[in-house]
Amino acid sequence: MSFREKSAWITLITLSVLTAAVVTHLPRPFTLAPAPSLFILHVLALAILFFIGIEIVAHVVIAIWSPRDARVPKDERERLIELKATAVASYVYAGLSLSSILTIHLGANEIGLGYLVFLSFVIGEIVNYALRIYYYRRGV
Amino acid sequence: MVSTNVQNRIRRLRFDHGEMTQQTLAERVGVTRQTINAIELGKYSPSLEVAFKIAGVFGVPIEDVFSYGEAPAAAD
Repeated sequence: MSFREKSAWITLITLSVLTAAVVTHLPRPFTLAPAPSLFILHVLALAILFFIGIEIVAHVVIAIWSPRDARVPKDERERLIELKATAVASYVYAGLSLSSILTIHLGANEIGLGYLVFLSFVIGEIVNYALRIYYYRRGV
Repeated sequence: MVSTNVQNRIRRLRFDHGEMTQQTLAERVGVTRQTINAIELGKYSPSLEVAFKIAGVFGVPIEDVFSYGEAPAAAD
């Protein structure tokens, strides 16, 4: 398994677990009052810090594990995989973030809407990394 | 598995060149070992540039390495 495939696995798992933890522990966006809205911002900030920390540590570990792989620059296949995965993920992000606007009619306030747009971006990234792994394993 | 219509004889050519490893070929071509493996297995069609470089490493014309639709005729 190449360094970048391992990297994609790390990002996919970290994002999925953190997103599941955040979504299950936060109130639904359209039931938010101002006070819980601030709570959401704090939880999201904490999740982002956790994500950055886990990514740094995990990437350092896999780079130490196979330093030669980590130093090899991206080749054309890896660039193509990233391009194709990002292209699909961008449609997912655009579709979900535009759909988030509809939650205004369900009573979401601006922080709730921001939360949903942020969640759309995260889901788009999960799709992005899941597709990269698919292309790495099944061919592109 | 996603497979292409581009056939290749890289495995055979590596064998004929002293059982050259995928890693050695990858380093000489300038791609990752996983990319050489994907090309060998028909999971990825390389660019013309990489295809020419692979043929150059083995010192054979490109058509002796790659063909479209059917396996290339043996060079030897």
